[in-house]
Amino acid sequence: MNWKIGKMENWKNGKSIVTSCLQFISPFLLLSLSFSSCNEPVCSEPFSPTPYEIEIPYGFPTQLNIPEDNPMTVGGVELGRMLFYDGRLNGRTHPDSLMSCASCHRQENSFEVGIARPHPFGVTGKSTHHAMLPMINLVWNPGYFGWNGSVGSIEEDVLGVISDPTEFDSSPEKVVNTIKSIPGYEALFENAFASKEITIDRIVKAIAQFVRTLISANTKFDKYMHGEVQLSPEELRGFVLFTTEEGADCFHCHGGYGNPLFTTNKFYNNGKDSVFTDPYDRYFITGDQMDKGGYKATTLRNIELTGPYMHDGRFETLEEVIEFYSHDLVNTPQIDPLMHHIANGGIQLTPNEKSDLMAFIKTLRDEEFLTNPQFSSPTEFP
Amino acid sequence: MRNTSHRILSGIILIFAFIAMISSCDESDVPAELEQGKINFYFAHFNNGENLEFDTMKYTNAAGNNYLVNEIQYFISDVKLYKSDGSIKLIDDWDDIHYVDTDIESTRSWQVYDPIEPGDYEKISFTFGINEEKNQSLMFLNPPERDMFWPEFLGGGYHYMKLNGKWLAENSQVKPFNFHLGIGQIYSGGVIEPDSITEFIQNYFEMELPASSFSITEGEQVYFEILMNVDNWFQNPHVYNHDEWGGDIMQKQDAMKLGCENGEEDVFSIYQVFIIEN
Repeated sequence: MNWKIGKMENWKNGKSIVTSCLQFISPFLLLSLSFSSCNEPVCSEPFSPTPYEIEIPYGFPTQLNIPEDNPMTVGGVELGRMLFYDGRLNGRTHPDSLMSCASCHRQENSFEVGIARPHPFGVTGKSTHHAMLPMINLVWNPGYFGWNGSVGSIEEDVLGVISDPTEFDSSPEKVVNTIKSIPGYEALFENAFASKEITIDRIVKAIAQFVRTLISANTKFDKYMHGEVQLSPEELRGFVLFTTEEGADCFHCHGGYGNPLFTTNKFYNNGKDSVFTDPYDRYFITGDQMDKGGYKATTLRNIELTGPYMHDGRFETLEEVIEFYSHDLVNTPQIDPLMHHIANGGIQLTPNEKSDLMAFIKTLRDEEFLTNPQFSSPTEFP
Repeated sequence: MRNTSHRILSGIILIFAFIAMISSCDESDVPAELEQGKINFYFAHFNNGENLEFDTMKYTNAAGNNYLVNEIQYFISDVKLYKSDGSIKLIDDWDDIHYVDTDIESTRSWQVYDPIEPGDYEKISFTFGINEEKNQSLMFLNPPERDMFWPEFLGGGYHYMKLNGKWLAENSQVKPFNFHLGIGQIYSGGVIEPDSITEFIQNYFEMELPASSFSITEGEQVYFEILMNVDNWFQNPHVYNHDEWGGDIMQKQDAMKLGCENGEEDVFSIYQVFIIEN
């Protein structure tokens, strides 16, 4: 019933004779199986999807942001992964027009697009307003997604992508009709939601479930926290800089030992500009003048893979970012008080200190996350 | 210290806050021990007798620094009620460490879980911050308390307080200050690096609230307002000058010592707002 293909970017619209035959006889096989097994009393009980349990890593928050109306199930995560990578998800079937979540959210880049162009672009070539944020440890995001926190949930985000002209430029109806037209998906929906019905609500929920499983918790720094490895002298000096006020003081916004997410998920004006022209900063959400030029402090996990940096992608490399924090901060009434080094224009790191800080930041690279087969593209699609 | 109009306004605000607190309770929150009393705290922040206004450069401290306050986040813990018979009730069930955040309204109300034995109480005290035994790293895994963590190199555990703001420095430049209190460090040879630390200093202090006597009878709910007068962090007995100490003090034990000694003096006060009889 399934046919084997590679990543959905390579998907071709065609069927083999074997596939067609299997599709023809499979309903009878299923019917036969269901009749023969219905002699058992258990058949009278409704199918209940198997719950999916998230294992909370050491030191991570115990409170997960899982909506009550979208409990995690094993089948839901499996379906979500399938949809996440399925190029037909945008409601188009022409091989040149396919686009899935994974077209831009690439595992090897911590589910960020990882291209030099600051703003990614959708199926029509139009660019998104801001640079991309990685999909990592979002199950702990308290409900402020995006650079300005305008999106309240992963479900809302996925739904927005479908219609956004800079992303799928499609419609929920087209997406549902396309997924409905693909034999095999009904069974996956039934496994996930105990019903074959395919709706946009379920498509969105399944993808959100999969995204919530994308957990990074096995960096060198994590192993250091567990006492499994020691940091090198350079990395350790960098950690001291990262986590002290007299050093670089990154930890107040980006976490550390006490906050291994490496983000507070809060919004800060970090001193990039003297004039604020972006209409979609934090001020756009709160209306508070002090929030002008404010954006989320991103997670630093796998940060070396998720450039370009800042909301507008103005810095291509981490070296440029460290240089900015070291010497190029701009003082305005909106600058966050935590940027106390602003009085000196920055944290004034020496070349050796910059090197040490970079060495520490690279301990936040999570190879397991980048290659985890459970996060990778399925080898077979319906 | 506060004028009458302010007291009336404050009272109105508190009544609404407490009504919201009460109405938000479902039946499961109602204690079975109705023969006992209950106490509730509301945290308010003032400057020179007025409600604290944020992000406005309208305050001047004893050192002559013009300053603004952006946010305040802090812990109080080990609240003790001293009864007239000499016994002490330590509020330590369910919520022995309470976090207050001026940006999170819900943290400003504390409905104490413990039933309170009826009788006359002479005073109330609490620990500002968290004592050495309890102040352990990774005991708060969830925000907002999690974001108060104090770096391991500097003693670990959690900030007692973050008071963030800005001041008008000597050269007329507006500079941020992070008046952060927590575990202090003693450095050898004047080298401010973790390798030079010879001793950690526990800066938390116990605050006996003046004029905090109260009585409670069976089934009564007593409501208190705990007031923080922000300006007093910077005066009495020590004049704290931002120009002298700069924007960050987590690695400046002398500055934190001044701040904590000022805090111990008269930053906090309390008054009983009203009683609801069952």
